[in-house]
Amino acid sequence: MEELVQKEVQTIPKIVFENINKVFHTRKQTIVAVKDYDMQVDQGDFVSIIGPSGCGKSTLIRMLNGIIQPTSGRMLLDGIPLDTSKPYSQETLRKMGFIFQQPNMLPWYTIRQNITLPLKIFGLDTPEYQEYADELISVTGLQKFADSYPIEASGGALQRAGVVRAMVHKPEILLMDEPFGALDEMLREQLNMELLSIWKRLNITIIFITHNVEEAVLLSNSIYVMATEPGRLVEKVDIDLPRPRSLEMITQPRFVSYTQRLVDLIGSVELRQIK
Amino acid sequence: MKKKSIRKKKGIDWMSIIPPWILLAIIFAVWEIAAKTTGISEYILPPMSKIIHGVITKFPGELLPHFLLTVRVIVLGFIFATILGISLAAIFSQFNIITKAVTPVIIWLVITPMITLIPLMTLWLGYDPVLRTYVVILQATPIIALNTLNGFVNVDNDKVELAKSVGCTRMQRFTKIVFMNAMPQVFTGIKLGSIFSTIAALSADIVSGNAGLGFKISQFTKYNNVYMSYGTIFLVGLIGLTLYKIIERIERRVVLWKN
Repeated sequence: MEELVQKEVQTIPKIVFENINKVFHTRKQTIVAVKDYDMQVDQGDFVSIIGPSGCGKSTLIRMLNGIIQPTSGRMLLDGIPLDTSKPYSQETLRKMGFIFQQPNMLPWYTIRQNITLPLKIFGLDTPEYQEYADELISVTGLQKFADSYPIEASGGALQRAGVVRAMVHKPEILLMDEPFGALDEMLREQLNMELLSIWKRLNITIIFITHNVEEAVLLSNSIYVMATEPGRLVEKVDIDLPRPRSLEMITQPRFVSYTQRLVDLIGSVELRQIK
Repeated sequence: MKKKSIRKKKGIDWMSIIPPWILLAIIFAVWEIAAKTTGISEYILPPMSKIIHGVITKFPGELLPHFLLTVRVIVLGFIFATILGISLAAIFSQFNIITKAVTPVIIWLVITPMITLIPLMTLWLGYDPVLRTYVVILQATPIIALNTLNGFVNVDNDKVELAKSVGCTRMQRFTKIVFMNAMPQVFTGIKLGSIFSTIAALSADIVSGNAGLGFKISQFTKYNNVYMSYGTIFLVGLIGLTLYKIIERIERRVVLWKN
């Protein structure tokens, strides 16, 4: 009996999107940003959402994080429905860390103050968490920037700081909105590999938004492909490549066949829209 | 070490100090030469040397009490206006509808020269020269409030999203994000406020009479003491400029990310 209960607990998905819709009304028109979206993400999973701009992929993780409210549908976190009618409790928000497309540092705080901002807001400003912040700062090579202001640091350092800020309160889920999109190829690849090692070490759940197919295949367990007008799910592609993954895999036939399939999918989606 | 922290990057910035002094010297020189060579009457264009000499000799005895009064009115009024302007903007900005309602009223108050209210205010408040502080407060508060309010309501969407994603309370959002984000506009408001304060104090002196540098200017002009009139006007300019520069220095220490 106990075993059965144990098993059931384990199979509860970490995140569930059920029939989620988001409609934006402007003065002139109504935009269906997300239509009937369903998704299930397990604990410790690495899931990417991919699609052309305007397909609502950023909107999805913003809804999950309580930044915007869905128009209809249900989202469940650890099997418990989220009450989207009011701001989430700190307890709920603490489970998540959001990484923005831009570093989104507050220029009036030093990098360290920016990184530890969530600790202050969540009331976690204890020596233990400060120590963890220091550890993350040193792991990501940010020590020399820690007491500098954002205008004094490079783009790569700031983006790293954005990642560290989202992790400083030990969230269970990372929501990443095209986090390395603005960086050059080399830096991006490097940060992607760093991200994989962090994910493996901490066993956290990641939802990663990108429009870069190779990046999605390299990182994810499964990829949700979306289309625009209305923003909707087209297909879920499971990536059955061995881990740990490395940049050398990009040229391997299986990897290439995955990227080709995704490119075709996105291409056909766009083609259908033109017609 | 590639570079030091922006906080420590101090030292005297000669490039922003020398050019204004050179320009001032040129203006004074041209003035002096024009006054002495063109044959324009001394009543219209007294030589600069005479103006400066006059102010220096008359400052300790004749001008000092008036100088102190006007400076007191400007500084007191300006400080109150700054506190009041920022506080009002903070309150207004909490409610969208109030922001929309008050903005035109604030603009209307900014445009209204409070000098027109001085005779009425004298009726209400009496003749004590220190009461001119109210005129300064009335004139400077709206411009400070207007700029500050603008800063408080125009926050980047990115920063609002950040506040939401970490679950900031209303108070935390205001103190940690909105207020700091508005700092550049707040300082623009304060600097304009210092200018408005100086103008308002002088206007009040002139209209109310009997004391203050404004009163002295009109008195000097009335008795054909033109060079002293000019001299006192320069003195007033000096007060305004000093106040402005002090605020600018504070701004540079606070708004580190804009320099």
